[in-house]
Amino acid sequence: MSMDKSSQGSLQSIAGDVLPTCSAACPVHTDTREYVQRISKGDYEGALDVLLEVNPFPSVCGRICHHPCESKCRRVAIDEAVSLRMLKRFVVENTAAHRIARRKKAVQINSDKSAAIIGAGPAGLTAAMDLALRGYKVKVYEKDTKLGGMLAHAIPRYRLPPEALAQDIEDILATGIEVHFGSSVGVDISFEQLRKENDAVLIAVGLSESHSLPIPGTGSKGVFLGVTFLWDVANGLCPELGERTLVIGGGNVAIDIARAAKRLGPKNVYMACLESREEMPAWKWEIAEAEEEGIEILNSWGPKAILEKDGAVRAMEFRRCASVFDAQRRFSPSYDESVTNTVEVDSVILGIGQKANLDFLLGSEVSVNGGRLTCDRESMATSEPGVFACGEVMTGPGSAIQAVGTGHDAAKVLAHYLETGEILKLPDKNTINIGELPAATAAKARRLDRVCVDLTDPAERIKDFSPIEPVYTEEEALSESRRCLSCATGAHLQFPNHCAGCLTCVRICPFGVAQVRRTAFMPPQECQTCGLCAAECPAFAIEVLRFPTAAMKKSMVENVAGLDLERVARPFLIAYCCVNGTTSRKYLKDQSAGEIMETGVLRILVPCVGRLSMADLVSPFELGADKVAVVSCPEGACYYPRVEGWLERRITRTQRYLDEIGLGGEKLQLFKMEGSGDESWTRIWERFRAVNLETAVGR
Amino acid sequence: MIVADPKPFLQVKGYLEDFQKVLVVGCGTCTTVCLSGGEAEVQILASGLRIAFGKDGRKKTILEGCVQRQCDLEFIVPVLSQVEAEGIDAVVSLACGVGVNFLADRLGNIPIFPGLDTTFYGANMQQGLWAEMCAGCGSCIVAYTGGICPVARCSKHLLNGPCGGSEKGKCEVDPKNIDCVWQLIYDRLKRLGRLEDLRNLLPAKDWSTASDGGVRRSAREQLYDVK
Ligand SMILES: Cc1cc2nc3c(=O)[nH]c(=O)nc-3n(C[C@H](O)[C@H](O)[C@H](O)COP(=O)(O)OP(=O)(O)OC[C@H]3O[C@@H](n4cnc5c(N)ncnc54)[C@H](O)[C@@H]3O)c2cc1C
Ligand code: SF4
Ligand code: SF4
Repeated sequence: MSMDKSSQGSLQSIAGDVLPTCSAACPVHTDTREYVQRISKGDYEGALDVLLEVNPFPSVCGRICHHPCESKCRRVAIDEAVSLRMLKRFVVENTAAHRIARRKKAVQINSDKSAAIIGAGPAGLTAAMDLALRGYKVKVYEKDTKLGGMLAHAIPRYRLPPEALAQDIEDILATGIEVHFGSSVGVDISFEQLRKENDAVLIAVGLSESHSLPIPGTGSKGVFLGVTFLWDVANGLCPELGERTLVIGGGNVAIDIARAAKRLGPKNVYMACLESREEMPAWKWEIAEAEEEGIEILNSWGPKAILEKDGAVRAMEFRRCASVFDAQRRFSPSYDESVTNTVEVDSVILGIGQKANLDFLLGSEVSVNGGRLTCDRESMATSEPGVFACGEVMTGPGSAIQAVGTGHDAAKVLAHYLETGEILKLPDKNTINIGELPAATAAKARRLDRVCVDLTDPAERIKDFSPIEPVYTEEEALSESRRCLSCATGAHLQFPNHCAGCLTCVRICPFGVAQVRRTAFMPPQECQTCGLCAAECPAFAIEVLRFPTAAMKKSMVENVAGLDLERVARPFLIAYCCVNGTTSRKYLKDQSAGEIMETGVLRILVPCVGRLSMADLVSPFELGADKVAVVSCPEGACYYPRVEGWLERRITRTQRYLDEIGLGGEKLQLFKMEGSGDESWTRIWERFRAVNLETAVGR
Repeated sequence: MIVADPKPFLQVKGYLEDFQKVLVVGCGTCTTVCLSGGEAEVQILASGLRIAFGKDGRKKTILEGCVQRQCDLEFIVPVLSQVEAEGIDAVVSLACGVGVNFLADRLGNIPIFPGLDTTFYGANMQQGLWAEMCAGCGSCIVAYTGGICPVARCSKHLLNGPCGGSEKGKCEVDPKNIDCVWQLIYDRLKRLGRLEDLRNLLPAKDWSTASDGGVRRSAREQLYDVK
């Protein structure tokens, strides 16, 4: 028997609507804890279901999400965040068949209303899918020949290979949206016509153009705009770069440009930005990877002029940037003109930011102010009734998952508008989260190294656009998933009227978090889910939501009921094994009755066998087991402090009791894994089954 | 709190040889707290009985239950009804002796057996350890002994100690585990600046308030008509 999934259902937070910090930080509130827990139980398909619940782009996000969830993971108080993006990637890359099988089909159009969506980036596509699934007719207009917006034609392939994006897009297209490729609104079809033909229009055009610089020389040969450059690269048109290429900008886009440029062959690639190293807006890991690839970063320089010779770039002149922000932390660079620097280069690529192209709105009633679309963030409405906006054109530069979030919202406001003709104000987005893990608890928790993968060697990776990051192996994914603390799914006083306030929980809790306030109270934001209190509670009043032993017992009983006990291979062994020992899902799968009868082993996986109570240790004998094995982690490897000692004592007491009742204490044994469970469990079970207890102890 | 220890398993099993349908009933108060008679111990004992009788080839029905306190009528009414309704032919109580007696008085012709040996009124010394603190003598003298009871905590119940068996603060009866209470009393009175009290020998105690005076009752006149 594997850990029972059905009887547990979704993990219910004890804290009610209070989200774990990871989910709270995710713009679409992915149920992070749940998918990670499902991975840890070997239910990768179930994990995918959780992801797709709120995010049509899990394959993309598994590769390139900037993972705000990880930034807020409470595990940082102990060591490092759980590697959530890598886990997500593992899920999508190991569930392809399930994904196709569960793919949502187009629903019957059940409304005479239609919506037009301009732009097939993550925002527009998400909105389109949601509306189509609600039964509206949806037409998407995309000026490019590919879907996905910046995901398709800006993010370089070494980070986001087209196959990953395609996997997400296929799902979305299956919902029956109508896509007009190569259809640039304002050029191929007018905005007015869209308005006429549809009841609502959604503007999701993103920020498709790069800003230029108001300095001399930007018109020279060898100067490129970042987005155009990346578009060319993504579409296999190799822009010709000189031996020395300079990228202006210090954000993530600039890093992508520089790293893409490096792969096109220039000898030297530089980046120059206003910001000091600490102030650079790019993610630290992106900067590090760029430097590994030999990109040289010039900090605190402001572009002064692009120097040319015969109309082509020759050098770039800089002045010292003294400060980037003013006292109010607003962007307001100031320069020290007396300090200058000239860098000889052959190509310059501008990666200083993007803006929307809203030319298609010229002549319409939709208000645009200073190049920005006027849009109310709460209702996503523009100045014109029936015209809405989502994605980066509304939010400004952000992330793919944020764009997806606004796409979901847009579908809500559009549907409301289509039904009622009214604007819908979206509810307040603020969520309550459980807050950081208190330092005192964190200090008692065991540190577990984050599972890191090795990127391709820098010298190799700059040779082409091959993806540089390997996916987790199954063993790595299982191991990393078990670092998740499954926040707020710990001990809970299930039967308050049974609690005698005996203080056993308070005294045994290895994290010092259990309290008695007349009855027991285990603060959900502190409990580490070890289950010791539940195991020792003399009133059996405590249950651990993450793994309720009552449900475990129920499914053990059901499993045994399905066996023909006359025909089970004897001795019949019930083996409680610590789930943390598995390196594949071989043992996480449900066992068939046939398998149990043939092997004579019923395995019960428990997240830490320390949570087994004495009654749990005795009851298998009642069900007909000849022997009971408890297989814990290798010596000293338990995820929780002090559990091993308590478990040993409990087993010793149970053995004595089994002696007393005349069954023989040696029928219950504690084993420690040797290496992983996959390697050692069968050996341990077989060895124990083979011991002849009658002769061994002279009975 | 009342402390009780589990009886040897075979003794309990022995009580039940002749019965077919047995209810093991725990107590959710004192014996839960001292880890010998709560929900968990009920399950463990019941499981053990089923296994042991099964091994002997005798299938018996062993039912489980637990009430908040076996020493209050309202709490045991459901047990009494269950016994009657389900045709239970013996009860094992994991309460202290109070619960066993209280149930016995009300169980008519159904036998009840103790699953525990009730030991003392004690306090928790540390996780999993209790020690005797009071003997329930009915006329408390600790006002004169620094709050420490020589009746309960002196192995010889001496009212004016110590005896000659006090050595290095330990009692000769079991020097490893028992403190000499008279040493404790001396130390405490010294800290209180009241060593002089020791000069007033305690008179012989009137044990009629203890069990020597017959079965005791305790009434609250605001709730009960004292005759
Ligand atoms: C280089 C780069 C790297 C990035 N890296 C990451 C990353 O690692 N992680 C991350 O989370 N995010 C990243 N982002 C951001 C992410 O790509 C964007 O947040 C996201 O794509 C915005 O989605 P959107 O739907 O609002 O707009 P877009 O993705 O820009 O899509 C807009 C679509 O509208 C189309 N369009 C525009 N005008 C018209 C018109 N007139 N008619 C028809 N169609 C039109 C465009 O062709 C485009 O397909 C990156 C962005 C860039 C530029
Ligand atoms: S430990 Fe798990 S549940 Fe807690 S914040 Fe991190 S990922 Fe979320
Ligand atoms: S003993 Fe374990 S499960 Fe119980 S409160 Fe403490 S950390 Fe939580």
